Amino acid sequence: MAEKFCMVVAEGSFDKAMMPLMMGNTAASMGMEVHIFYTFFGLKLLKKNAKPKLPGMMRFFTGMMAGKMKKLNIPSLDEMMKQAKELGVKFYACSTSMSMMGIKESELIDGAKVLGASAFLNMAFDSKLTLFIG
Amino acid sequence: MHGSDNTAEEMSVEKNATLDAKGLMCPMPIVNLAKKVKEMKSGQILELIADDVGAKEDVPAWCSRTGNTLLSVEEEGKILRFYIKLK
Repeated sequence: MAEKFCMVVAEGSFDKAMMPLMMGNTAASMGMEVHIFYTFFGLKLLKKNAKPKLPGMMRFFTGMMAGKMKKLNIPSLDEMMKQAKELGVKFYACSTSMSMMGIKESELIDGAKVLGASAFLNMAFDSKLTLFIG
Repeated sequence: MHGSDNTAEEMSVEKNATLDAKGLMCPMPIVNLAKKVKEMKSGQILELIADDVGAKEDVPAWCSRTGNTLLSVEEEGKILRFYIKLK
């Protein structure tokens, strides 16, 4: 059975959107089973057509950063997300954060599963590695 | 012993396929490598060409993690050529 790799994403900025997907897609390509749990502000990233911005005042430069990434041949956030799904990366939404942020299950990307902390921790306990992105 | 026996061309590995990942940054060479390997058969040799500086460490790490064998690496300026024998 494949080794498990879990991540917790707690921030909703552009950089925090990219990082877990880069890590997750790499890990899945290395044969690991990848689970990403989105909580607090991170949950916004699981919404359909999420368009996150860089944090704080940097938000005005999000377009510039995306342009630079395109020039460097780095896949866009949408492309990374598509790749992640193809690679079988699993996405989870924190149920409490959904109520807190007023996000409905129908607003989440297809395939996202709603979980509580205990279900996620149960996976994390069984995983080889857990990273916190926040 | 003949001096010409050890030229790069004569020593080059017999490969079954080539994946050109030049111009792609981490993690794309690895993601594409994993995808390509799925299309190939056990025992075949894949040549991976990359110019991402991270690939020098990433490809050996991928090989050891996935159980594939890195036969050799050739470096030509910024271009890296990896020869991977599939498990």
